[in-house]
Amino acid sequence: MKKILTFALAALLFVPAFAGSKKKAEKDTQAFRYELECAGNGVQGTYLIRVWSYSRKAAVAAEQCKKNAVHGVIFKGYTGENGCVAQRPLVSKPGAEMEHEEYFKSFFSDKGEYYKYVSLTETSQEIVKVGKEYKVGVVVSVKKDELRKALEAAGIIRGLGSGF
Amino acid sequence: MTTALCLLLAAGAFAQHATKPTIMVFPSETWCAKRGYMQTYDNQGTAVKQPDYQRALQEDMDLKLAIAKINNLMTDRGFPLQVLEEVLRNLQREEAQMNMVTSKSGSSMGMSMMDRLNAQAKSDIQLDLTWDLTEQGPKRTLTYILEARDPYTQKSIASAVGTSQPSFSASVPVLLEEAVVANIDNFNAQLQAYFDDLFQNGREVSIDIRVFEDNALGVDLETEYGDYELREIITKWMRKNTVEGRFSKSGSSEYNVKFTQVRIPLFDSEGDPVDTEAFVGKLRRFLKKEPYNLPSKVMTEGLGKVILVIGDK
Repeated sequence: MKKILTFALAALLFVPAFAGSKKKAEKDTQAFRYELECAGNGVQGTYLIRVWSYSRKAAVAAEQCKKNAVHGVIFKGYTGENGCVAQRPLVSKPGAEMEHEEYFKSFFSDKGEYYKYVSLTETSQEIVKVGKEYKVGVVVSVKKDELRKALEAAGIIRGLGSGF
Repeated sequence: MTTALCLLLAAGAFAQHATKPTIMVFPSETWCAKRGYMQTYDNQGTAVKQPDYQRALQEDMDLKLAIAKINNLMTDRGFPLQVLEEVLRNLQREEAQMNMVTSKSGSSMGMSMMDRLNAQAKSDIQLDLTWDLTEQGPKRTLTYILEARDPYTQKSIASAVGTSQPSFSASVPVLLEEAVVANIDNFNAQLQAYFDDLFQNGREVSIDIRVFEDNALGVDLETEYGDYELREIITKWMRKNTVEGRFSKSGSSEYNVKFTQVRIPLFDSEGDPVDTEAFVGKLRRFLKKEPYNLPSKVMTEGLGKVILVIGDK
């Protein structure tokens, strides 16, 4: 009985702390507080990216990496070096995220549509302690062609042949 | 006001589609020269070299692969390209047809010098492809350049340049395919920016105004109507009919005025698509009316370049 009570108390303390970290991670995503770099040439239709995210909880940062990768491919683009090609963001119009706020709110909700376009390519993570936070890096694959088609269908970006 | 209305129509109603530019991938002249795919012809005593696309496509497998890959990726993006090999084949077929077809009375099909000049592989946007392989000991590196040019305005529209990671084992086709796949998105982003600008500010074209020498009317571009010379009247018409009056004049004499960077609306006031020929056709009708009464001939080089010759048909 004592054990159950201890566990329940721990859970009660842990859940808000985890939820708080999650909320902070979401804010970081919106504020572009993550880093993307080219991790190699992905198979056709995908980008292979190393994404670094920050959180007080390493697990939260790791999970947020997927969301950040998709967010970055859409709005930020990423750098490349040593033969690895840098890519521009899919959405180049400034303020597009605010303009289509409702769409992206639903798109980036937990396990929202963004989840369809990203997958982890390896299970290993790089974890660096930076002050009170963890900086977690993982390599993910983003299905950029499918993602672009979804954004075109939603009217966020124009297709190359649209209007002709 | 009229042009503003046309732009509004362009922005709001894509029920009518703007005239689509044709795009085709060519091996660049540098690539052709380096591999010996050039042919020489005599231009009034001067030997002129030009790329022999036919032979390059027949003999170079890597070139075919690179072009096929780019075509495949562009089709996937919803913008299928013209295929150089097919265009060349079609030109040969048309030429054979021209030579063979005669009417019952023995007349052959008419072909002007302009038709002959236009009968070559060309597109509204030309993609020039170049690659080069560097070997350093056992390591191979591929440098790749893809450049989109507008042959009418001679402007660069987009370019992708990259060098692959050194490889010990990858073959040229593999390195080439990797380079195409890795660079095509950045290239298309620039192409998209060009199209966005076209929809926002109108199509950028070149218009050449010329005069038939010794024409029966004795008119040239310095002929005066009231207080204004003909070239001033045409310039005024251009200012009124281009998008926000945007164009440049790169030369002006009694026989020739060159208008470059001319922004023409994509749609007319009735919502119909406008290309350079249609735009210049409007100028032709303007000059045909009182008080000018000038006949003129419209010669179209493509979607983005037209020559208007005043004084005769």
